This record gives sequence, structure tokens and C-alpha cells, in this order.
Amino acid sequence: MRQYPIVFFFGMAVFFSCSNNNNAASTPVAGYDDNALTAVIADADSLKTFDFIAPVVEDIKTALRQPTPILLCRDSLNPQQKLAQIIALFDTVFTQSVREKDTKRPYRCEIFGVYPARESDMAYVKMPYQLQDCYRVEMYNYALNSTATAIADIKQQKVLANGYQLQAQPDIPLYLKNLATKIAVSSAEVQRAMGIKPEEKDALMASTKTSLNRSRCERSGHLCVAPTFVKNDKALWAIVDLTGFTLSGVRWTSTGATGPAPLVTERKLQDDKITACFCELETPLQKDGWKMEYMLTSSDGLRITNVSFNGKPVLQSAKLVDWHVSYSGTDGFGYSDAVGCPYFSQAAVIAFNPPAIRSLTENNRNAGFILEQSFRSEQWPSPCNYNYVQRYEFYKDGRFRVAAASLGRGCGNDGTYRPVFRIAFAAEQNNFAEWNGNGWNNWEREKWQQQMATTNYTPEGYEYKLTDNSGSGYYIEPGKGQFADGGRGDNAYVYTTINKPADEGESDMVTIGPCCNTDYHQGPEKFIEPVPEDIHNKKLVVWYVAQLKNDNTKGSEYCWAESVLENGVYVTKTYPGFCGPMFIPVK
Amino acid sequence: MRPDVYTGKIIASMRNLLSVFYLCLLLASCSQSGKAVYSDNNCKLVPPFVGRLGFDKRKSYFSTSEKKIMGLVLLEATDPQNEQAGATKKYQDSSWKKAGWLAPIQLDNRGNIFTAPAPFINVLNNPAADQNTIYKIDGETGTMSPFLRLPPADSATDQNAYGIIGMVYLCSSGSLYVSTIAGSNRRYEKGCIYQVNSVTGKIENRLTGMDVLGMGIAYTSGERRLYFGKARTSDVYSIALTEKGSFTGKPQPEFSLSGLGARGDDKVRRIKTDKNGNLLVYGMEFNFNLVAPSEKQETVYQFAYNAEKKQWTLVD
Repeated sequence: MRQYPIVFFFGMAVFFSCSNNNNAASTPVAGYDDNALTAVIADADSLKTFDFIAPVVEDIKTALRQPTPILLCRDSLNPQQKLAQIIALFDTVFTQSVREKDTKRPYRCEIFGVYPARESDMAYVKMPYQLQDCYRVEMYNYALNSTATAIADIKQQKVLANGYQLQAQPDIPLYLKNLATKIAVSSAEVQRAMGIKPEEKDALMASTKTSLNRSRCERSGHLCVAPTFVKNDKALWAIVDLTGFTLSGVRWTSTGATGPAPLVTERKLQDDKITACFCELETPLQKDGWKMEYMLTSSDGLRITNVSFNGKPVLQSAKLVDWHVSYSGTDGFGYSDAVGCPYFSQAAVIAFNPPAIRSLTENNRNAGFILEQSFRSEQWPSPCNYNYVQRYEFYKDGRFRVAAASLGRGCGNDGTYRPVFRIAFAAEQNNFAEWNGNGWNNWEREKWQQQMATTNYTPEGYEYKLTDNSGSGYYIEPGKGQFADGGRGDNAYVYTTINKPADEGESDMVTIGPCCNTDYHQGPEKFIEPVPEDIHNKKLVVWYVAQLKNDNTKGSEYCWAESVLENGVYVTKTYPGFCGPMFIPVK
Repeated sequence: MRPDVYTGKIIASMRNLLSVFYLCLLLASCSQSGKAVYSDNNCKLVPPFVGRLGFDKRKSYFSTSEKKIMGLVLLEATDPQNEQAGATKKYQDSSWKKAGWLAPIQLDNRGNIFTAPAPFINVLNNPAADQNTIYKIDGETGTMSPFLRLPPADSATDQNAYGIIGMVYLCSSGSLYVSTIAGSNRRYEKGCIYQVNSVTGKIENRLTGMDVLGMGIAYTSGERRLYFGKARTSDVYSIALTEKGSFTGKPQPEFSLSGLGARGDDKVRRIKTDKNGNLLVYGMEFNFNLVAPSEKQETVYQFAYNAEKKQWTLVD
């Protein structure tokens, strides 16, 4: 009998402790589905327009040459709507943002619609009016991604009220909807995904009145819509950029029986695709005798692993650990940025597009291939925003190069960029030597050295040599502006450390060093100091920290970017600053 | 019928009626005692040390988002009505930067300040070991010291640098609600909201298995509720709080910021209430990374409660 109270209270304790935990301690989250994996982000290099776009572009250029550079509404308007449009065009408040303030160069602006005014449009109108005489005129500014509205009274022949909203887009006119659908059906990506070339009428969804889903191009700030094609129980969203008249990408969604369809936007398409395909999976690559895997990391950029050439192991791994950015005008001011995946990462500057593999040309001949990845701040090229490119070059003759570039813009023209590369060699026993002007001098211990104006190079331009016991290995040629990529020389710090099993940087690294040291204290020295170890016949890691000074001098820009107005919209002109060593096989 | 029997029956009926009446009274009083007394939950006291430092208490405020100053900063606004006018004075105690970059700030009704570290652009000054530590700045002395270390994540991850990410203070019970997302990764949501006694530092309650970003407290239809936004989606939930501030019942969905505003996928950074009882929901971009936009990307959404439909609707 005495046991029962104990059992009772124990049971109650269990009950209350379970009920006090409202949820399990961790909740599993569904992984990326096939729709994310099969999404396609259109390759920026191949973003082409179509023949039927040419007359549209001509109309835009004609409008930009007018004193009031505004494209008139292309949907059919009745005489009252046309009059309201004219009244709005003569209103200086309505048209105050059609030109760039300082330069007076025209923005691309277009009247999207002229609609009978609603009572709700008249909330701020103080003067008397008759609602049936009033029309709402909506104008979109493609350059600023903004909307201006005017309430025009055709009887009083004046504008009664104005409105203006940044990052807002009006309802899209019919002719643009039709154009978006035409772009979608003409795009190879849509045709591949559908398995056929769909007809424009196929964009009509039976259950809705519209063929278009609203979408957003958050990163480009462009006007985007998504013609959607239904196939069985899925819908293919084709995100069409109506500012650039191109396709941004495609993605399938499941047409569920209940609930609204999830919105597919430019950012979501990019982030989901990149995360699902490149942040969670190693991708094998075999080409031109080279074999490797690559993956986007949380904070170390694009990492390559198990690199071999013609069956011989070359690298255990290579990656870009940090970008240190300092500004000489302000002591201690700068950023130490990690680059990496867009979601769930420790990256401050993230990947927007998947890694790209491109042909490598040297002396007008195909010499191998490039594996390249870019990382961007969302508001680049605005000040204090960044764009970095990471590049691996693999040559058919066995050379390879680990490179990177800054495309600006940064917080000023007094910036110095210091990318930190970590290159871990595969051989178990290596030796490291520097050229002293007459011969090769072995480094006995872990060490660092800076590339200076007085540095010695072999006649071929090599500064270091890393070889195994059989004598094979690589010469290391630092950048001196000789790689025909606009580089101006690396002024690099080179460090050599032992590749230890106790992970001195092999897995994803948190920020290795601060932004603003101007000496060798860039992070890798942690693995050398206080007591450098013997590196004779050891598995080695080479760290390479280039130093790129930016420049915004007209005609001589470097590590820089700027927005220029072209045909009424802003396009970005970039001046990349490339750096990084070449590795040449020792023969 | 005999009059005495009839009278007895009447008396019995009246006794039954009275019993029913008293029962109703009892039930009514029970339901009324479950209703929370309305409060604007605004009890924060300017710390006494502010005045002693020569700052004007009416114009002074604390910030953890000064881009070139790590830690907590005390500022005196040039014009409190105009954020663009900047500050005339700045002060930072040496202890206020020892925990690295900080994020949430809450003041209690005694002038103490609670805050927590959160990385800014990188983790160089924010070691993972301290990501779940609440710090307190004493209202009298102005010195910052660790107040409470919440339980650490069960495992480290390189997919998420954040720990404590949101805080809100309940005046009526002196409870500090702290949300942490430490240890959460792409596959698992390991976040938790803790109810912490702001005097003793004792954890009194917790809501686990959810990554929550921003929170706020509102009194709606006689209920005291904690509103919170998920860190992975734009959805906002709420859960009822007892008089002592404990969670009661299950979280319920309230509304979503999905599709709203310039970005369309804002997460809730914090929630306040205005004098009309509307919710002011501050939305921003958040993707479990260390992206720090050069221009603040935040939108304030106003939601009003429709008592008839029992739902929140977007006003602005």
C-alpha cells in the first residue's frame, strides 16, 4: 500500500515534466525538395535578349530623348484617360524624379496605367472635385524602382494630389504581361524544363484569371513577374526580368490543394538552389586530366578537395578563408569578411549564383578551364558593399592557379584588400624552398615572408618551390601583374605550416584575423608562433595573403565598381583587382 | 394542493434558484479572475547613473548598433524627435565592450539594463562560448557583468553564429524573456525562449524546439500574451502568460509578414504596442548569416486586433 503514493507521485512528476516541455528540444526541419534541386538560375553571361525586344528598346531610347522622357501608357486608353495622362505629365511634382538629380540624365520611366479614381485615392485632396472626373495615373521608374502617382482631374485640368513610393511597383500593364509571357516561352530554360516549347496560351492557369504570378527581383531591384505553366500537379515559375527583358530563372512548385502557392522570387530561387546543390553536397568535377570535388562552405568560400592531375594527388584542399579590408584614412576601421553560403553560414558576403565552369584561354587557345564563384553584398555597388570573385584555374599542362579578385566598392578609395588563401598539399612529405638569387634555399622551420620589391625570382618568375622526396612538386609564382587579368602585383605574405591532423584550418574556419593589421599578423601566424616547428619532410600547408590597394582614379580604376546610367537604368561597371599565385609542375 | 406543501415547494424552488444563482456568480468571478489586468508594459526606468554622468535623462538612450563602436553606448540625442539629427554626447564604460558586439537591450523597472552578445559581420570578438550569456548593467554603478549563462547548445555548428537574439521584459512579474537560437542549423531547430527571473537570475520556464527572433508583450481581449516571430519564416505566434509570467497553453499562429513590404520575407525583430493596443511589428531580413547591410533594412508594420473575427489585420 505504501508503494502506491510513490508510484502516483512519480507518475505525476513524469507527467508534469513532460507537459512543462511544450515542444521537443529540437525540431527537425524538412530538407530541400526536388523543386529546389532542379531549379535553374540563368547564367548571367548568357543572359540574352530576343529579336522581338529590339523594337521595345528602340521605343525606350526614343522616349529618353524627349524633354519629358516618359514612355506613355501602351494599353489602350479612352479619351478621358489620355487627357488625364497628359495632365499628369505636365505636373512638375509628378515628374520631379524622371531625371538624375545632379546630371539631369533621364531615367527610364513609363506610365503603367490610368484608372478611374476611387474614393480611397482622394483622402488627401482638399479642394472640391467630382469623383467621375478624376483618374489615378501610375508611373514606374525602372532605375529607382519607384512608383509615382497623380490624381488628375480632367475637368479642372490639374493634378489634385501626388504620391511617391520607393521600392514599389504598380500593377503591370497588359502589354508587359504579354511580353513577359513571350520571353518565358522563348527561353531555352523554360523549354528544357517543360520538355517542349510551350505556347503563350499555356501560361494561362485554369484556376485563376491571370497567367502571371507576382514575383520580386530583390537583388537586382528590377521589375519581375513570373509567367507560370502548369504541368500535371506542378507549376513552373519562370521569373522574367522586365527591366532587362531576360529570364532570371525557373523553378517548379507543387500545386497543393489548399493554401496559397509559395512566392517564388529571385532571392529565394537563388538561395534555395545554391544551398541545396552546393552547400550541402560535394560536387565531383573531372576535366582536362584534372579531378576534384568542390563545395560552397559556411565561411571559407568555394573549397576544392582531393585534387589530382592525371591520377596523381596534388592538393588535399584549397579555400579562401577571409577577406581583410582596411582603410588607411581611419585607424582600425575596416572589415574582416568571410564569404560563403547564403543561408545558415558565417558569411558576411554571400554567394548569389552557383559556381561556374568556363573555358580557359591562353594565347588564343583553349588551355584548360576555370572554376569560379562570386560573392556579393546585396546593395553592391553602393558604398560599403562588396563583391568578391574566387577563381581556380586548371591548365591542361598541369599548372594550376589559386586566385581571387575584389570588385569594390568598399567604403572609400583608401582601401586595401587582403584575401587569405589556405592551400593544403596532398603529399605526405614535402620540402619548401625559396629562390635566393643563385639557388634554392630550404626553409627548415615554419615561417612567413613578404613579397617585396627586392624579392628574388628565377628567370621564369618563380619565388618558391615545394617538392616531395621524389623531386616532383610545384614552383610557386606570385602575382606581379603578369597574368593578363589586370592584376597589379600581390605584395603577398606567404606562410608555410605543417598540415596537422589536429585541424589547423582544414574544416571551416571562423574569422582568422582582424581587418586592419598592415603587417604579417593576418591570422596564419597563429599556426607558427610562438615556436615554429621543423617542416622538413612534412605534409605542408601554404597560406597566401595578397595585398591589393584600391584605386578610383579615372582611367586607372582597380578593385572598384560604379553605377552608370545606361538607357535610363543603372548598370554596374567593374574594375576587378585580381591576385593569387600560379603553381607550375617541377619537371 | 395543501398550502404548506405548496409553500414548501416554492421554498425548495427558491433554494434551487439561489444555488444556481450563486453558482453562476462563482463561475463569473472565476472567469473574471482569469482575465489579465491591462497594462502598457512600459515600466522601464532610466538608470540613475545616467544623470550622474551629466546626461539629460529625457534625451538619452542606449545603443548596441553604432557601427564603429563595439558594445553598449550611451548617447544623448540632439533632437529626440529627429533620429537623423544624431547625438551630442557619447559615453561607454570600459566594461560595456568586454562581451564583444551586443544586440538586444532591455531595461527593467529598477534602471538595470540587460543585454546579450551577437556577432556583427564576423565572430572575431564574439566567442561561441559566450553566445548564450545574459549580461546586466547595474543601474546604480553602470558596470556590466555576466548575469546568467543559459544552457549551452547540445553541439557546435558552423552554420549559425548566433545565440541569444531577442529579449523582452514583463513589468508585472519582473520576468525577462530571452530567445536563443544557439546550435540550430539547416536541419534542426534547437532554439528556445527562456523565462528568467530578472532579480534572482533563475530560469522559471522555457519553450523549446523553436527558433524565435523578436518578441513583444500585449494584452489582448483580457489575455496577457507573448507574441513572437519565428526566425526561419515570417510567421508570428503568441502564447498566453500567467500572472507570474509563465507560459500556459500552446503557441498559436497569429499572422504573417510573408509577401509584405519591400522584401516580402521579413522576420520579426521586435514587437511593441501603441496606445491604441495595435501591434507595431518591426520586420527585417534574417537568414542565419552574418550579412550586415550598409543601410538598415527595416519596415514597421501595424496590426490591429479585430475582436469580432478574433484576428489581427494589417493596418499599415
